[in-house]
Amino acid sequence: MTDQPTPPGPPNRPAQPTQPAPAATPPQPGAPAPSQPPAPAAPATQPSAIQTAEPAQNVAAQIYDQGYRAYDGPRTGYMGAMRALIWFSIKTALGMGRSARYKIVPVLMIVAAFVPAIVFVGIAALLGDVGEEFLPTYPEYYGFIVAAIYLFAGFVAPELLSPDRRTGMLGVYLASPLNRPAYLIGKAIAVVSIILIVTLGPTLLLLIAYSLEDLGPSGFIDWMTTFGKILLSGVTLGVLYAAVALAVSASTDRSMIATATILAMFPASAIVSDILVNEADQTSHLRLLNIPNMPRDLVFRIHDQRGLWSPIDNPTWTLWAAWVFWVGLSLAFVWFKYRRLLVRR
Amino acid sequence: MPNDWRPDAPFRARPAKLLGVPLVQARGVTKRYGSVEVLTDATFDVEPGITGLLGANGAGKTTMLGMIIGLHHRNAGDLQVFDSDPWTAGAEVRTRLGYAPEHHTLPSDVGAFDFVEHIAALHGLPKVEATTRASDALWLVGLGEERFRPMGTMSTGQRQRVKLAQAIAHDPKLIILDEPTDGLDPVQRDAMLDLIRTVSESFGISVILSSHLLEEVERICESVVIIGEGQTLASGRLDDLVSTDSIGVTVEIDGTEAEATQLAQHLTQQGFPTSQTGRRLNIEGTDDRVFDIARDACVSLNIGIIRLHRRRLSLEDVFLDRLG
Repeated sequence: MTDQPTPPGPPNRPAQPTQPAPAATPPQPGAPAPSQPPAPAAPATQPSAIQTAEPAQNVAAQIYDQGYRAYDGPRTGYMGAMRALIWFSIKTALGMGRSARYKIVPVLMIVAAFVPAIVFVGIAALLGDVGEEFLPTYPEYYGFIVAAIYLFAGFVAPELLSPDRRTGMLGVYLASPLNRPAYLIGKAIAVVSIILIVTLGPTLLLLIAYSLEDLGPSGFIDWMTTFGKILLSGVTLGVLYAAVALAVSASTDRSMIATATILAMFPASAIVSDILVNEADQTSHLRLLNIPNMPRDLVFRIHDQRGLWSPIDNPTWTLWAAWVFWVGLSLAFVWFKYRRLLVRR
Repeated sequence: MPNDWRPDAPFRARPAKLLGVPLVQARGVTKRYGSVEVLTDATFDVEPGITGLLGANGAGKTTMLGMIIGLHHRNAGDLQVFDSDPWTAGAEVRTRLGYAPEHHTLPSDVGAFDFVEHIAALHGLPKVEATTRASDALWLVGLGEERFRPMGTMSTGQRQRVKLAQAIAHDPKLIILDEPTDGLDPVQRDAMLDLIRTVSESFGISVILSSHLLEEVERICESVVIIGEGQTLASGRLDDLVSTDSIGVTVEIDGTEAEATQLAQHLTQQGFPTSQTGRRLNIEGTDDRVFDIARDACVSLNIGIIRLHRRRLSLEDVFLDRLG
């Protein structure tokens, strides 16, 4: 490429970029300042410079093969590392930048969560007020997509936690500015963010569609209140399912085992609590062991509606206490597992 | 293009202020897991340049690396990395560290470029810089054309290069390479060692090379730290530990071990202490006459010679000697 000594680097790499000498492109009056310092007037001493124009002319372009070099610019620090971890985790879970087979499950789950909403939006658009009796309320909508939410939580959390331990990537992460708590917080934020796509997205879509068809809340205050309740509902469901799924994922290095355990755990807890309350005539507070239905009932309470369990003999505060218990227990278990985890090389 | 662009950027001289200043200082570092003491009173310096961290499996290398990175807390002693305690200032220290793990099971479905870019961003590079430098680092290690391939489809040699690329992409001051030639054939090993030397000499990035292969450490390292049974057996510049001067003669005989023993006794009686390993004898003495003495002894005892050569103090000698 050049007779002059060149920096170590790929010999076949195309030279880049072209750096015009100051004399070649005199600044125009009023033109913005260049974003970088101009090349020196006499770059011949620079080892990677190539003279590409006739030397006798005033115009001389120089090409620099920059290659690998020092970096003395700003660094984003701890928060930048967190952002990088969260974004990469979200991309990984959604199959972005991965082969097609990794995109199938998230796409199917998201479609399954949104399709009923799209159907109801269509009914609202076609039938207007006539179709109102067919349209679900916001808490009722979760009944249509509960399976998709479980499946999504069951696939996402294991995909983000288990492989890092199995492949040794955890050691690479902990050799970065992130420490164990930061790593876990980043992963938890990523899992919750992804689950929010299915716990929040469809109901927000319904709110917008209902509002456009004059079937939604009337007035700004009403609209904002409903919007806030939808946000709180989505977050309540998303955080609880994410926390439980993370706890299960922290207990095994195999994603499929974690997924199967999560998918079995949700209905199993519902069956056990129903048997205890309905068949064994135990206290109704044992319904709070019902992981899938307890937060859904809480969502009804958030929207000031009658819950799943009738008669409503569990005060709302007990539901919130159960929510805090499950989330706290799950996150404590995750921390317990990772605090004691010996990081492999 | 970054604002700090300058034509001479590829040639970063090692910062003058770092010359002679240890990057890592360990003084009496002790680490216990329960009742098991895996490191005892480890004391050494890691100077700028390439330093080999040598030791058998289970010697305490991994624990030492873990403490340098800030993953483990020591039970006693003082450890400074870039003049900071890696346990209390872990994030700051690790921003300037690169780490290439030993294991080969990087995420198989992730492209090399995405992986290197991600690790660069984790170490604090802004998005644009991380993208640019990931590409540059992969070109540097010879994977420019392959950079978008999933790592699961790469050979062991290519994955080792990816690990080196991710370690250097964020321009660290020090990189820790854990068995970087593991699984490589001789040609690939030579190329990897040349690459590591290039990274150190041309870009001023110091290297801690953890290995159990004495030959490769002796080949590219400037300094060495030998750990054995949890203790620092030796540390310092390789030039000070090994010698290019002759320390004696090695003779391998064409005969039986009994004849070798007879020859060893003969030489020892003549004032040249001799040790025996099978049919090979190490004769001590820096005198040039040792060659003649050994040859004449073989002739007088009617023993054939397969090989007769000058012996130098190698890293292996140091290692075996310190291990006792």
